[in-house]
Amino acid sequence: MTSAIDRTPLRARLGVRAVVIVGLLWTLVPLVWMVASSFKTDVDVTAAEPEFLFQPTLENYRSLFTGANNLGPYIWHSVLASGISSVLAVAIGALAGYGLAGTRMRAKKHVAFWIISTRMAPIAVVVLPLFLLFRGANLIDSIPGLILAYLTFNLPFAIWLMSAFFAEVPPSVEESALVAGCTRWQAFWHVVLPLTKSGLVTTFVLCLVFSWNDYAFALVFSGPHSQTLPIAADQLVTQTGIDWGQLTAIGTIVVLPMIVAGLAVRRWLVTGLTLGAVTGE
Amino acid sequence: MTTTLDAPAEAPVRNAKARKRFGFHGLMMTPGMVLLALLSVIPLVTIIATSFSRVHLLGGVVFDNVGLTYWARLFGDLDLWVQWLRTIAFFVLTVGLEMVLGLGFALCLWKLVRARNLLLTLFLLPMFVAPVIVGLLGRFLTDSTFGLYTWLLGLVGYHGDILGGGTSAFLAVVAMDVWEWTPLITLVVLAGLTAVPQSIREAAALDGANGWQSFRHVLLPSISGVLLVALLIRSMDAIRYFDIISVTTNGGPADATKTVPIRLYETAFRFFDLGYAAVIGLVMLVVTILIARAFVRVLDRKGLTR
Repeated sequence: MTSAIDRTPLRARLGVRAVVIVGLLWTLVPLVWMVASSFKTDVDVTAAEPEFLFQPTLENYRSLFTGANNLGPYIWHSVLASGISSVLAVAIGALAGYGLAGTRMRAKKHVAFWIISTRMAPIAVVVLPLFLLFRGANLIDSIPGLILAYLTFNLPFAIWLMSAFFAEVPPSVEESALVAGCTRWQAFWHVVLPLTKSGLVTTFVLCLVFSWNDYAFALVFSGPHSQTLPIAADQLVTQTGIDWGQLTAIGTIVVLPMIVAGLAVRRWLVTGLTLGAVTGE
Repeated sequence: MTTTLDAPAEAPVRNAKARKRFGFHGLMMTPGMVLLALLSVIPLVTIIATSFSRVHLLGGVVFDNVGLTYWARLFGDLDLWVQWLRTIAFFVLTVGLEMVLGLGFALCLWKLVRARNLLLTLFLLPMFVAPVIVGLLGRFLTDSTFGLYTWLLGLVGYHGDILGGGTSAFLAVVAMDVWEWTPLITLVVLAGLTAVPQSIREAAALDGANGWQSFRHVLLPSISGVLLVALLIRSMDAIRYFDIISVTTNGGPADATKTVPIRLYETAFRFFDLGYAAVIGLVMLVVTILIARAFVRVLDRKGLTR
């Protein structure tokens, strides 16, 4: 890369580096501080002068899994609710996304708009009627209730995103499968679907991140039998005084798996997060 | 069934095929459409019904028709209009800062060819952090006695209680959203920049364009579509922003951070004034649908909803 335009003057190059370093500090300091604090003792965490060098301890993590606020059930609820909701969203979303990408019906535009508008509806607007419906149907404080609630944002997202991935598959692929004697379903299942494997994984991971990170829905719908990790983190605050050591440990536990999952699909993130409106690098 | 199937001369055959295809695609869409209808149309009908009713929650859910009572309240509710203004201010500030910073970081990363991928990965991390953790972490960092950022601000001479003061609390929750979502803009813009053909930039350089000129007249126009998509995506999220404010200030101090979503939540689930909450919600829904329309129009222009 040494074409004429990339030979920028030294001063500009230093400027670029300075901006990037400031940007990195702004981005990373809170996360590094969170992880570091989770390994500190109570005294170190709440020291008036920030402690940059300290004796690391696993005490915060140990007390999260033993004693009164045992994190185990919360993790299980989070895994169940967000996992099942994401699997359902991807499975149903793949079928519908395929249909939407290929259909030639006249109302297609309106259907597409309706799908996307349910995804964009303000959370509070969805939560309120669902609360009344769930209360009538006895779904408050249940994992199935949370799964359904998460589907309200995961399903339209999955449909729209999968249809963007299906639109990338050239029609000739499917046509030649049909010519070779496949039924429509066989052509979809054995030929077209495998070509969107990266789309399926990306859709699943993003659905997982959205529902794993959800707070508003879980706040309203969950109870002792279904509370998720974000609620556990928040509850640590409302108890008398805040145990910041434990809180930063919970934070680390909530954040780490999603960072790993998110970075695993980095290549398709642009497509995913813009619902296919911008194709990735 | 040969490859001549799509030739214009065989239009009738193609029509038959189209009808068949409609059937199969329609079939594939059915489960998703039915489920989505259950999950969206029923709640929509419910919230509209709620806006005309006094809802009793004891002994099942009972709706009492009260006509336009709650809708009438909307117009005399000065607080709500202030909260809308605050929401708009919040919206403009967060989305504006995210766009400017995201564009800036993207341009800088784009210049750094070799380290770009590693740096971009590091830049992306905040996006995956649960907003509730962003909020709690923000509280931790700005705690008035031991917060790291409180201490840093103390070094440069600022000693206020950040989440305790109106303006500073407002700016703090803005900063938290900016921290979380600037990476998204950086990611999207960088993708747009890398898609700009080298030849166009070289041509501009040969024509003697300086850095600013080639940015303004070559780069910016070629990524304007991408920027617009990024803007709209952030817009629909920023208008419904709830988690961070809820766990940091919960609308306080003295309502300085009380946006419409917070007000809606409080009306519904703290005061159980469900009818009026439904009215506030339906107004929010209308605003969001307008934004969604703009979004789809942009997608349309890019040929995505063909």
